[in-house]
Amino acid sequence: MPDTTTLTVPLSPQELQALYEISNAVAREPDIEKALEHIVKLTRPVLIFDNIVVYVKSSDGMQPAFARIVGRGRAAEADLAWGESIASNVINTGHLEIVEERLDNWEQNRLNLRFLLALPLHGGDEIQGAVVFGRFGGPPFSQEQIRLSEFVATHIGQLLVRQQLVGRIAVLEAERRLQTIQENFIAMVSHELRSPLGFIKGYTTTLLRQDISWDENTRYEFLKIIDEEAEHLRGLIDNLLDSSRLQSGAMKMQLQHTPIDELIREIYHRVKRLSQSIDIQLDIKQSFTTWVDPVRFTQVIDNLIANAVKYAEASPISILVDIVDKHPLTSPKAGHIAVTDFGPGIEAEYVEHVFKRFYRVPGKTAQYGAGLGLFICREIMHAHGGEIGCESSLGHGTTFHLYLPLREETEMPSNNMESPE
Amino acid sequence: MNEKILIVDDEPRYLRLVEANLLPEGYHVLQANNGQQAVEMVALHKPDLVMLDVMMPVLDGFQALERIRDFSSVPVIIVSAKGEEQDRVRGLNLGADDYILKPFSASELLARVRAVLRRIQRPGPMSEGVAIFRHGNLTVDFARAEVFRDDKMVYLSATEYRVLLQLVQMYGKVVPSDQLLKDVWGDEYTEDKEILWVSISRLRQKLEDDPRNPVHVVTRSGVGYIMPKLEQ
Repeated sequence: MPDTTTLTVPLSPQELQALYEISNAVAREPDIEKALEHIVKLTRPVLIFDNIVVYVKSSDGMQPAFARIVGRGRAAEADLAWGESIASNVINTGHLEIVEERLDNWEQNRLNLRFLLALPLHGGDEIQGAVVFGRFGGPPFSQEQIRLSEFVATHIGQLLVRQQLVGRIAVLEAERRLQTIQENFIAMVSHELRSPLGFIKGYTTTLLRQDISWDENTRYEFLKIIDEEAEHLRGLIDNLLDSSRLQSGAMKMQLQHTPIDELIREIYHRVKRLSQSIDIQLDIKQSFTTWVDPVRFTQVIDNLIANAVKYAEASPISILVDIVDKHPLTSPKAGHIAVTDFGPGIEAEYVEHVFKRFYRVPGKTAQYGAGLGLFICREIMHAHGGEIGCESSLGHGTTFHLYLPLREETEMPSNNMESPE
Repeated sequence: MNEKILIVDDEPRYLRLVEANLLPEGYHVLQANNGQQAVEMVALHKPDLVMLDVMMPVLDGFQALERIRDFSSVPVIIVSAKGEEQDRVRGLNLGADDYILKPFSASELLARVRAVLRRIQRPGPMSEGVAIFRHGNLTVDFARAEVFRDDKMVYLSATEYRVLLQLVQMYGKVVPSDQLLKDVWGDEYTEDKEILWVSISRLRQKLEDDPRNPVHVVTRSGVGYIMPKLEQ
């Protein structure tokens, strides 16, 4: 004979199905909000409630994390703060609690007769919060329904723990990523700085050897290397400083209304004069005058030319200046400068990354480079309200496109830093 | 004098720097631009010393060293800007004889080169007359500077061979660590215990049936190493 005083009433097939689906919902749904929605939908036909609120313990008490009004209380939707005191009790005692609230006029308005069922939400060894089911107008919760609500509370508790773990993992992941980036940066920078320093140290101490007197030519050769490597070191340090200033917004543009053809011609003639070996062509189709910082803009063009020399050895370099239509910049027209080389090109999968800070295209044999040059170019272009793009075709070459907004002399940009990020 | 030194670096300026310092010393200098070339040149020209950069295209310094050690015991100095502890240990583990960190001074470079070459030039410590030494399954042929384990030839680097000879010479007695460092590497290395540990561990890998329970090269904690007398 079964003991009729204990709760051995078998679950109905409907209840069993609901339990099964609740378990499933908790296990499968990665998003806690959606999982709770499922639970509410599945629980309501068997548990019968009008309101549900999930409170989560926080450092200063508890916060409602989820609340739904599904039944007769809909009219009172604004009144979401209910159940707070019972939830707080349950969190403190760790025991289930049921209260019957008889508000004014409850005999006339049955919505004012409220049954509240609150259960603690356990997760791990701690109480994570409480869930409160509200039923307006009765009848009171039956023993079977209370049992079912305990099952639901267990699952909500698990959901909360899982959410906490996911949150903690995300924080750790982010910290780890940041640390990796910083470590890579330090390793890369120290290697980059050490390389020119190694030459300076090596060649200087070679010249200082007291057991050998170097002839005039050798001395000149070594001193020239020392000079070039010191210059290389200076460039690296400048780039590092520039990139951190641009990143922090501490670099101000000294804007002048500048005829671009003049500026580009100046660069062109300087490159011609300094290195006869570079085959550089200039094609000014249509010039324009707009607001730029001549020093910083020259730095961008210099950087693109230096890249072409470095990665497209012995290739001719061409610079084109014109005005293009329909570029998605401020006005329908934009000033356009293209720097093209006819070297090996960059593989499509890497092109989109070339402007990222510290990014270096894998497999390039060029000796040095901290992955800062193009990042600096992009930041400078953004500070001009402009844009930089890269187009490359393997085996054919690479073109960097610069776009500048066309602004009249009267339209000096008020904000010197216009970084879209 | 006139030892052949192969310098390997993908940076022409490093090749020039090392060459400029070695030529006036009377060394004969060979050059390679990458690891692959280095391996080929070791096989072809049998240099007396190899100075190997780590970060190079085609085959890096570590990979090149691994291949070189498949067929040659030529002394190798790793010259690298990678100064992390694990890089150093990795180089020594692969059988490098020394490790120079970039940036280096000309005098430091020359001192290391001389120290390593001195190691292989010093006459063997074994007195004449004894041509073969046996210890269990281990055989050392002094005339040919060859070592056999179970009659199979074992390639030891010049440094490893010198460590082994020190232990053989003091057969049955403990050789203190600092004495090993001084005799094999040179006066300037007596504090460099790590370089000794790595060589001892490599020797065991090559000579012992069970490197964790060595019978040929045994540690005497806090003192040094011994090749113990075997029970007959």
